Amino acid sequence: MTARRHVATTARLATVLLAVLAPWRLDAQSLSPRDSALHALNRLAFGPRPGEVDRVAGLGVMRWIDQQLEPERVPDDRLAERERAFKLLDLGREELALRYGDALRERREMQRNMAASGDTARRPGAGPMREFRQLGGELQQLAVVRAALSERQLREVMVDFWTNHFNVFVGKGADRFLTPSYIEQTIRPHALGRFEDLLIATAQSPAMLFYLDNAQSIAPGSVPPMRGRRPDRMPQGINENYARELLELHTLGVDGGYTQQDVIAVARILTGWGIERPQQGAGFTFRDWAHDRGEKTVLGVRFPGGHGMDEGVRLLKLLANQHATMHHVSRKLCARLVADEPPDGCVDAAVDAWHRTNGDIRAVLRAIVAAPDFWAPQVLHAKVKTPFEFVVSAVRATGAEPDDTPRLAQVVARLGQPLYLQPAPTGYPETQAQWVNSGALLGRMNVAVALAAGRLPGVTTNLDAVVPLTADRSQLTDLVNGRVLSGTMTAHTRDVIRRQLADVNDPMQARALAVGLAIGGPEFQRQ
Amino acid sequence: MSISRRVFVKSGGLALVSLGLDPLFLARAAFASHRPLPPLTASDRPVLVCLFQRGAVDGLNMIVPHGEPLYYRERPRIAIPAKDVVDLDGHFGLHPSLAPLKPLWDNKSLAAIHAVGSPDATRSHFDAQDYMESGTPGVKSTSDGWLNRYCRHDREHVDTPFRAVAFGPQLPRILAGTAPTLAIDDLQAFGLRVPQEAARDRLTRAFEELYEGAATGLLASSSQEGFDAIQMLKRVNPGQYQPANGAAYPPGRFGRALLQIAQLIKANLGLEIAFADVGGWDTHVNQGSSEGQLAARLRELGLGLAAFAQDLGERMRSVVVLTMSEFGRTIRENGNSGTDHGHATAMLALGGPVNGGRVLGRWPGLDPASRFEGRDVAVTTDFRDLFAEVLARHLGAAALAPVFPGYTPDPARFPGAITG
Repeated sequence: MTARRHVATTARLATVLLAVLAPWRLDAQSLSPRDSALHALNRLAFGPRPGEVDRVAGLGVMRWIDQQLEPERVPDDRLAERERAFKLLDLGREELALRYGDALRERREMQRNMAASGDTARRPGAGPMREFRQLGGELQQLAVVRAALSERQLREVMVDFWTNHFNVFVGKGADRFLTPSYIEQTIRPHALGRFEDLLIATAQSPAMLFYLDNAQSIAPGSVPPMRGRRPDRMPQGINENYARELLELHTLGVDGGYTQQDVIAVARILTGWGIERPQQGAGFTFRDWAHDRGEKTVLGVRFPGGHGMDEGVRLLKLLANQHATMHHVSRKLCARLVADEPPDGCVDAAVDAWHRTNGDIRAVLRAIVAAPDFWAPQVLHAKVKTPFEFVVSAVRATGAEPDDTPRLAQVVARLGQPLYLQPAPTGYPETQAQWVNSGALLGRMNVAVALAAGRLPGVTTNLDAVVPLTADRSQLTDLVNGRVLSGTMTAHTRDVIRRQLADVNDPMQARALAVGLAIGGPEFQRQ
Repeated sequence: MSISRRVFVKSGGLALVSLGLDPLFLARAAFASHRPLPPLTASDRPVLVCLFQRGAVDGLNMIVPHGEPLYYRERPRIAIPAKDVVDLDGHFGLHPSLAPLKPLWDNKSLAAIHAVGSPDATRSHFDAQDYMESGTPGVKSTSDGWLNRYCRHDREHVDTPFRAVAFGPQLPRILAGTAPTLAIDDLQAFGLRVPQEAARDRLTRAFEELYEGAATGLLASSSQEGFDAIQMLKRVNPGQYQPANGAAYPPGRFGRALLQIAQLIKANLGLEIAFADVGGWDTHVNQGSSEGQLAARLRELGLGLAAFAQDLGERMRSVVVLTMSEFGRTIRENGNSGTDHGHATAMLALGGPVNGGRVLGRWPGLDPASRFEGRDVAVTTDFRDLFAEVLARHLGAAALAPVFPGYTPDPARFPGAITG
């Protein structure tokens, strides 16, 4: 830890020195148009598709970024067409709650029958259980399909970032049916909006209220209107889980200067923020009877009692606009978009923009890409892809098409990143140490080889359109470098691939081998 | 192939450590026994096998307090009749499905720890499993698992690709973190999946060359570990494995996981920690008594553990198997002849180093006055004290504080599961 911090400090120092001493400007202009296009497509998109680097370079990388920042003006018909196959998108939270109830009933029925017959073999269930499981598969696959196919790539990157920042776990009870509307109605509409709106939306989302137990948090001694509830099932007192993660993870950050007293006060302010019963639609509700009516103080700011739900809204606005929040979230954004240990320059630029615009996420992103740090030579190809980024970028690089089954999402899961299934509220880490280990790398090589051979489940490949068959091995290697690796192939990799191809006579086999080695090789693990 | 060189260097470093030249040797004396650590490939290196009973096992029907009349009064339909209980000490007994474990109790290699659990009151599977795996009850934001933190902080053990392995499709939370760990679904399929051996070898070499020449940093070292691991397994030839001593593992996922763990232990590839899940314990409805749902799950557990001990034979002298479950179940049966989410449960420890033949932990009794929240078995052993004891006294962990942040394991509170 100390060593890492030391390295980070040294790197930061070097960046500062370089910026001071260098007479040239370390920004997009100092890179070739192709290099800057590739870098932007790696970080602000899920990697280039064949030919896309040239297209973005031709358009001008800054113009492409401007377009991406206004996704509503980027046509996305092909994705819209594909989304129609996902039944999940036609079902509201109420409908999903009902279907989940049906699935639970079927499961209980089955357990009763099993117990009665002494038969212990597990069965998948035929009706509602199976249907509900299919919807869960759709939820995961939809994330893969959107990331791979959307023309609004930066928006998809930000959806992924915020979904992870405001993590919920789809495996926890009611979150099985609350997560789809969380993604569609809470995260996606706000991904490029204002941070404050996004924060309030997550705080009022049933998925988050359930995941971090705020729905169970009630003022001590408060008594619910009894509707035949069993007293031993009633929640007892305040629950600090959401309050703590709200401060530590969602806003101020662990070093954000709050105390345990602040955590308790935040939990008291948010008492009463709960969820309707599933039969009533499982929406957000404020339960006045559960709210703590006393006065509270958070970060030295007084919250007089008796203001009900408004106290919470005021609190969230206060938190959204703290300098510590701006710094914490900006640093996380830069860790995703720039470098695992982001240079101070881009973080400061993001915080400035946040101050200036009251947390307009587009303005913050503009500031990050306008910062010289974003284009600095030492950050190019410096980040290792997460399993999700690896699979999606491989699909894109080979011009492949994911299908409607959950199988490609299962590939991502097997590589270590099951979607919506991170139990810890931290979300998945952004740093390479988490993702790079021997088993995971072998897994990636297997995915690459299968994809190149057209054997990867859940995806249709059409390599003819990307790397036409050729008997000339030099030409084949050049094509793979140019079309699949966007010109990043090292001389060493080229040598190894050429040697491997030497005695492969079948051009189909040769192409599959070359593409498999390229996607599974070290260059493609980085972005 | 650089495999032998790397392993040799690692073992060499280890040998120095085991002579006590490392200053950590002094630090660990406070907790651990003074056994010097055998070299990497020695057949008596300590191994810990953790088995997670997901769903909250009913500790009271697993290790039955048949000497307690209240047990029978609270469970008229699901209690294990005294005539069926496999008596252990006059007060506690094994569920009849666990009868295959009785010989291991008799030879003092099996112990039960009762009334063990979390200081956190949650009755949510999700939260309680999370706390048991992160090792930080009540703290949700811990991103790594305690077994991974052990691997990261214990410098005394040098990493091999097989140091910490979870058997299953995905890495569980308990092993997640920055120390290298492996999730293996099938030992035979580890490596590149190409059907023909020659083609597979060739592709493996090609990738190895690619990474040797073009990878840097973590990508380089991790890929090399992966290729080493493939070579190591190839020599072991897992496809040819036959359990020893006539051991027969029960069919199914759990038996297969145990068989592969035994195989990896015998291969002497430096395995220190193995992990596997065994599910199906959430018995809210019709859980059964001497027969039924829970009985079937316990039968698989008992047969599996007995086969494992038989298969490993003498090697069990340095192996400890530890079961764990997120919480126990209500003392009183519910209206559906099942049990609901409770608090403390029982765990099993099996192996040569185990202080066996006894039920450990302070038994709080089933008396309503001593129950947790008036309904559940109270926790008298914090699970971290049991886990810490196993890490310190069995694996020789040097530092426990970083493994269980916010907690100070104290040998005085260790339940005494490992012989000193």
